[in-house]
Amino acid sequence: MKVLGIDTSGYANAIGVIDGNQILADFTFEARNDSLEKIVANIDFVLKEAGLSLEDIQGFGVGLGPGSWTGIKVGVTVGKILAYSTNKPVSGVPTLEVLAYNARNTPSLICPIISAGVGNTVYAAFYRAKNGTISRTGEYYVGDIQGLSEMVREPTAFVGSEAQAHRQLIRQALDSPSILLEAIEDVPRGSVVAILAATRLESGEGDDVLSLTPLYLKESTAKAFLNRYSAGIQART
Amino acid sequence: MLVLGIETSCDETSSALVVDGKIVLSNIIATQLDLLKKFGGVVPEIAARRHTELIGYVIKEAVDSAGKTLADVEAVAVTSRQGLIGCLLVGVAAAKSLSYSLRIPLIGVHHIEGHIFANLLSNPQIPMPHVCLTVSGGHTMLVYVRDYCQYELLGSTLDDAAGEAFDKIAKFLNLGFPGGPVIDKLSTRGNRKAFGFPRPLLRASSLDFSFSGLKTSIINAFKDKISNNETLPLEDIAASFQEAVVDVLVAKTLRAALQRKVSAISVTGGVSANRRLREVFLASCQQEGIEVFFPELSLCTDNAAMIAAAGYARLRQGEADTLNLDVIPNVPLEVQGGS
Repeated sequence: MKVLGIDTSGYANAIGVIDGNQILADFTFEARNDSLEKIVANIDFVLKEAGLSLEDIQGFGVGLGPGSWTGIKVGVTVGKILAYSTNKPVSGVPTLEVLAYNARNTPSLICPIISAGVGNTVYAAFYRAKNGTISRTGEYYVGDIQGLSEMVREPTAFVGSEAQAHRQLIRQALDSPSILLEAIEDVPRGSVVAILAATRLESGEGDDVLSLTPLYLKESTAKAFLNRYSAGIQART
Repeated sequence: MLVLGIETSCDETSSALVVDGKIVLSNIIATQLDLLKKFGGVVPEIAARRHTELIGYVIKEAVDSAGKTLADVEAVAVTSRQGLIGCLLVGVAAAKSLSYSLRIPLIGVHHIEGHIFANLLSNPQIPMPHVCLTVSGGHTMLVYVRDYCQYELLGSTLDDAAGEAFDKIAKFLNLGFPGGPVIDKLSTRGNRKAFGFPRPLLRASSLDFSFSGLKTSIINAFKDKISNNETLPLEDIAASFQEAVVDVLVAKTLRAALQRKVSAISVTGGVSANRRLREVFLASCQQEGIEVFFPELSLCTDNAAMIAAAGYARLRQGEADTLNLDVIPNVPLEVQGGS
């Protein structure tokens, strides 16, 4: 199955094309101010590099985030409108899973980490690899590195663009210095989005095209404020 | 030419199919009124999230309800200039995806140019040149429309937009959101001369507007009564406030029309739905022998049909954008064909 995978959760344009087990093209266009305006033009570039046109693509994969809120909105919009207008299926893939897949050969627990862009806050999750596939072992984490470190109890491989720095912070926070901690510095790859999407699409687990929604993991500030405000009112009455 | 329009610059997710910039086959508008009421206004991040959820449904509904298929669409026009950046990006991403996959031309449209075309859609007989007052919650602008796609900016608001003043006064008086319709309705039972609120810049020779001082003077006049829980003459305040805004809008637009010696005035944007504004414009223009035009109500507020119509006019001139089309949140309406 020929699948186009995209991820713009960090503004960078990660775009890849696969055909079954083969990666036909995989490009990451560095994050710039106008990255989100370039995504469709960059998709055209990558398809041409792969020797394909959009008509050859049989399904789409899109990184759902978490990450930049604007980035994931643009990525998801492009994914769903391309799928709708070509009448092909689409599958959303959590960007944390895309990162974790890069460490699928480690026996350790895999912990992808994405900076939330505000202070010390990170998005993270834990995955376990088995026979070349990975599965998430618990809920998504949103919080500071300190809180994340309290969840680390066994050998763990951290994956992300700041994996080294995060490993160091967690190492400092850990009580037990003997736990083996690895750091794999990597970014989400378009080809990995395509691979993970293809698996879902082939087993009929694609998403509904029109209702596809980003994985924000955090409420907008206004919503959070309103929720606290109405909770306060309820508490007083 | 069948043009699909997309508009997501603020809080309305809209898509439309328009033939030759004239015949509206569909004009689907998903409002975020529920969210606006909850938050008392537009929250950019929440609006952009809603656009992402709705954009696919709205485009599909625009195509399906027109009895067409995507294969029939010959070009896509999208609001790419003037608006909330996160909201504009969603619409532009959708438009580029359609342009790319359907291999059809893409054209980015300035939101204000869309409003100018909203009235031309409703009233194709509006003569050129004319003066256009476009007034909403986001802008208040006087434009000399020399010809299709040829504009000269005559004046604009120095602070709040007129619609924004309606919203803020409605919020102050606890009337809910949006402020325009509720003040319009209350005013019909109020005395327009009960309070002599200021008419900002009315006598100034410039064609610019200012509404924040009017808003402040009303707030200063009644804030003590509100904090003492006194009953306010809401109808009279609404009617007197609305009269002040209408007086300024009509006077400046007429002055512009007389200066430019045009025979017609076009009034567009959300505030052009206001009944008192229409009434005063009609009466004053009749006195001066000037024709005045308003869009039908569905084309007053933000909608994609007007974007499709403006995009068609641009395409007719041989313009088209590439997949690199930029999104620009704040940029003046392109002044073309200068004076």
